[in-house]
Amino acid sequence: MKPNVLAKKIVFFVGIVLVWQIVDMANVWPDKIFPSPLEVGENLWYGASDGTLFYGIGTSLWRLAIGLAIAIAGGIILGVFMARVETVNQTIGSIALGLQSIPSVAWSPLAIVWFGLTDAGIIFVTIAGAIFSVTINTYTGVKNINPDYIAAAQNMGAKGGQLITKVLIPAAFPYMISGFKQGWAFAWRGVIGAELLFSFLGLGFLLNVGRQLSDVSQVIAMMLVIMIIGIVIDGLIFKKLEDKVMSRWGLR
Amino acid sequence: MAKLEAKNIVKYFDHDGQQLKALGGINLTVEQGDFICLVGPSGCGKSTFLRIIAGLQTPEEGQILLDNRPILNTGPDRILVFQEGALFPWLKVRDNVEFGLKIAGIPESERHEISQRYLDMMDLTKFANSYTYQLSTGMRQRVAIARALVMDPEVLLMDEPFAALDAQTRDTLLVEMQMIWQKTKKTIIFVTHSVSEATVLGNKVAVFTHRPSTIKKIVNIENKRPRLSEDETLIKYQQEILAELRPEVKSKGDEQ
Repeated sequence: MKPNVLAKKIVFFVGIVLVWQIVDMANVWPDKIFPSPLEVGENLWYGASDGTLFYGIGTSLWRLAIGLAIAIAGGIILGVFMARVETVNQTIGSIALGLQSIPSVAWSPLAIVWFGLTDAGIIFVTIAGAIFSVTINTYTGVKNINPDYIAAAQNMGAKGGQLITKVLIPAAFPYMISGFKQGWAFAWRGVIGAELLFSFLGLGFLLNVGRQLSDVSQVIAMMLVIMIIGIVIDGLIFKKLEDKVMSRWGLR
Repeated sequence: MAKLEAKNIVKYFDHDGQQLKALGGINLTVEQGDFICLVGPSGCGKSTFLRIIAGLQTPEEGQILLDNRPILNTGPDRILVFQEGALFPWLKVRDNVEFGLKIAGIPESERHEISQRYLDMMDLTKFANSYTYQLSTGMRQRVAIARALVMDPEVLLMDEPFAALDAQTRDTLLVEMQMIWQKTKKTIIFVTHSVSEATVLGNKVAVFTHRPSTIKKIVNIENKRPRLSEDETLIKYQQEILAELRPEVKSKGDEQ
């Protein structure tokens, strides 16, 4: 990051905390519903020192990882078949867009009925929230492959599984990455949303505990953690992956 | 014995819902070791004909015989070099060249040995680890040719591979292509819209009519190699071919 960009960011964040502190000191609202930055920091510190915060982060990330992995694998398979088999496109394809528009958390009631208040239920919500983004982007990617790539590969003897793994998926990858990015964001919302409703461990659960105890500093602290994890995962994993693929293809 | 025979190939195009007869019964015999160039007015279906030989399109009528056996499908015994190369941007140059060998399940060490031979032949060794976007158009076509040659096809099919190149690069590749042909003794079918390119490369030049196209003439060119595009001895062949082509291009103009 360039020094002046970094400087702008630091000034921006320090500014936010300062304004927050000033509003708090003006005593417009009682501390109970509008905690100071210091109180939020204290909450994070307590959570870190007794380990509950890390346990919550670990639980949520674990659920995210399993759910997202299944969603990506399943979404790629569905997307490739939608693009290559007309019947699959006419059937599953016709509802994929509709399914994608269902917010992940809306799958929770069904998940509770089917799986009870378990990890499996939360992971189900995660998968359901993410899989159709991956499916649709994979489908678009495979549909947009330069037909000469496929013809050349078939001409050199590629068919069936080899054609899929060695040509269709790598050729569609720039599109698929958009699906992964979108899918991961939906998956993360799904995990937190489901944890809120299931009230069964994880960051969403800690957020809910904060509300139940009327501890607004905990609510804000957990929201900050959820946001920071979002920024970190997007920047460390998906942005890197995207940059790598785009530069390899000479697209940037 | 004929290496490859096209028997009465008929192909229709779908043009705005209309069935347009593109190939009107093509008959062609290609001998082992021929370097045959196909020229014709644009839109006459010569590239389609090449794809039919490759097995990438199916004709409505007629059949292609390779070594007297009808071809049923596409396959590595007839490798097509595409106009734009169709190299895979997700693979390095070496992996592009080795793609077909990998599909065929050839072990890595053997693959490397074969690809290295053709990377050397095409002067690509120092680009082996580059991605294709890092190469010039001319270099990309070299990779495409290397990728085709590693498959050791019975027939090499080339669809206007030099059309997008600048004049100097094309001249270099025209000479190299002749050397490759002499060295590998491949049977080559080469589609081009350039009459001069056809006379430089081909020992035979087949002239297509306007669609529904047939082959109206085959010109034999026995001049010694390597030929250059400025060779004066080629001019009479070019005149002969152009005289055949001119009425075909004109009849297309009438239609439009």
